Amino acid sequence: MPFVAILRHDLRGLWDSRLVRLWLVAALLLALVITAAHWGQTPTAILIAWLVAPFLVFPWFLVVMVLGINPVSGSRADSLADGLLSRPVARHEYLAATWLARVLVVLAVFLTSTLPPIVLVALAERPAATDTVAPYGVTAGLGVVALVLLLQVSLGFMFGTLLRRLLSAVVVLLFLWYPINYTLDFFRLEQFSPVSLCRAVPELAQRPWRERDDLPSGVTGDDFEELGQLFVRALTFQKPKPQPKPFFESDEFRDVSLWQVALGYGVPTLLAVALTAFCFSRRDL
Amino acid sequence: MEFAIRTEHLTKIYASRLIAVNDMALEVPKGATFGLLGPNGAGKTTTFRLLLGLQRPTAGRAEVLGQTCGPNAVGVRRRIGYLPTNPKLPGNLRPTEYLDLLGQLYRLPHSVRKPRLASLLRAVGLLDATDQRIDTFSTGMSTRLGIAASLIADPPLLLWDEPTAGLDPAARRFTLDLIRQLGPGRTIVIATHILSDIDQICDHVGVMHEGRMVFCGSMHDMKRRLRCDDFHLDLDGPPEQIDRLARQTGELEGVEAQLRGSHTLVVRVAEKRGRAEALAEVLTLAAGADLSLQAIHSGRNDTENAYLQLLQEDIAHGFHRFDLAVRQPDDAVRGNPAP
Repeated sequence: MPFVAILRHDLRGLWDSRLVRLWLVAALLLALVITAAHWGQTPTAILIAWLVAPFLVFPWFLVVMVLGINPVSGSRADSLADGLLSRPVARHEYLAATWLARVLVVLAVFLTSTLPPIVLVALAERPAATDTVAPYGVTAGLGVVALVLLLQVSLGFMFGTLLRRLLSAVVVLLFLWYPINYTLDFFRLEQFSPVSLCRAVPELAQRPWRERDDLPSGVTGDDFEELGQLFVRALTFQKPKPQPKPFFESDEFRDVSLWQVALGYGVPTLLAVALTAFCFSRRDL
Repeated sequence: MEFAIRTEHLTKIYASRLIAVNDMALEVPKGATFGLLGPNGAGKTTTFRLLLGLQRPTAGRAEVLGQTCGPNAVGVRRRIGYLPTNPKLPGNLRPTEYLDLLGQLYRLPHSVRKPRLASLLRAVGLLDATDQRIDTFSTGMSTRLGIAASLIADPPLLLWDEPTAGLDPAARRFTLDLIRQLGPGRTIVIATHILSDIDQICDHVGVMHEGRMVFCGSMHDMKRRLRCDDFHLDLDGPPEQIDRLARQTGELEGVEAQLRGSHTLVVRVAEKRGRAEALAEVLTLAAGADLSLQAIHSGRNDTENAYLQLLQEDIAHGFHRFDLAVRQPDDAVRGNPAP
């Protein structure tokens, strides 16, 4: 019962906050402007990439991270101790409920501002609609963006707990996330960078459920092996094996693996949440 | 004797190297109304936070109703009703919503929660404010709501941190009356530096100074520690009659009398004389002089003096306060300050 009670309380608090309301309005307006500007000339898959770009690249990551930082830092920590954690609530229950509330709010704003225009541009007869998007592909594309948002919320949560002060956490996150594309490029993990994912969305959106019947569905040993090699290369600064088509030079993005992306973002998300829980359970309030 | 709270060598040193609680032995008997006295920064709030598991002790341990305290001791917090000083409550909620949320945190079923929160709001006089958001509340209203919040689960132990801080006289009177009513059947610990509050409502007292428990025992024991044996008689009548009474009183055996102002007679009784007997003689003289007795105060019952004396003793002990021997938990209970 405490978990559900805190989740409801936090969702209500978030909905009451000016930040979330302004963000929702701004995200809807931006989606409207993008849709209207590209209506006549941009193919559907590319238009979808345009619609998710504000969440992947700029500017909404700032809002997402600030929302993540908020529950365990600054002046909120006092009311947290006085009002909630002095009651029979386990700290992990509080953390789980507030993390989930933020994830739900972020995903709600993301889907509310992108899903209706995507459905509209996919179903409407437009002069520019020459490509075919698949429901599975669009879902996979939106899922990838949701994973990135999940990591952003979790990073905000982690730095909010570690640094306590809202402003310090925001500054550190800005310095960490803003150059993320260059950082991932340096470690030869460029296929995980938000810019690469944004560029891969048109390809993903057109991908059917199963391209060829002989391809196995789900995660395979090859995916794990490839992911492991990527991380080993990144950590040991090895040069990648020569490939016929380097990732960035091929604008087709056909080799983007959903499972690799899921693991590449999922594992750091889990680590961030676990570290937050560990720090918060040992922290004095 | 059963104890609601028991701490052994409880110590809290903050990362800034501030020693907030220093090797504290506290024992609060079950069913007592316990006053935790101490100047600002003595460590009273930190002690409460350690008991609630909001902070981890650097050393030592604390037990509440037989259970060890800690950040994950949900069972301990379920049995505590906590009122912080000037509570910071969720400002976006209304009182009923906040109490309902707390009821859910205490896992109270809906059928219990709703009637209880209504009766609590009525009891603390906030029925008229149920449609107001908490961030519009005054300090007194927030404290009243905090009191209601601490009682939502009807816990056997109440920890109230400066419950009368910032309250107007009427609200203060209300809070003290409430503590008296809640007393039977519950253990109440009140941290404060307002001595008159402690004097009115507490039967046990602990005095903290610089993180240490310098006295822990009954109110009776604490008052007995006073060295002075004064009576202050506030009299009404012609000044010359009061002056004559002072002279007559001074002639009594083993009694000294001194006028303070024009209407207050200070009577000091020597050690060898019985206080009751001497006082009876003085009162007989006052009655004979046709003077009206407005009030009588006893220096022996002056908690403030006892408290200040304890603090002075603790400061005067200087380096002797450093104790190489491991102190036993009952050192503080016996009513003796640290050597």
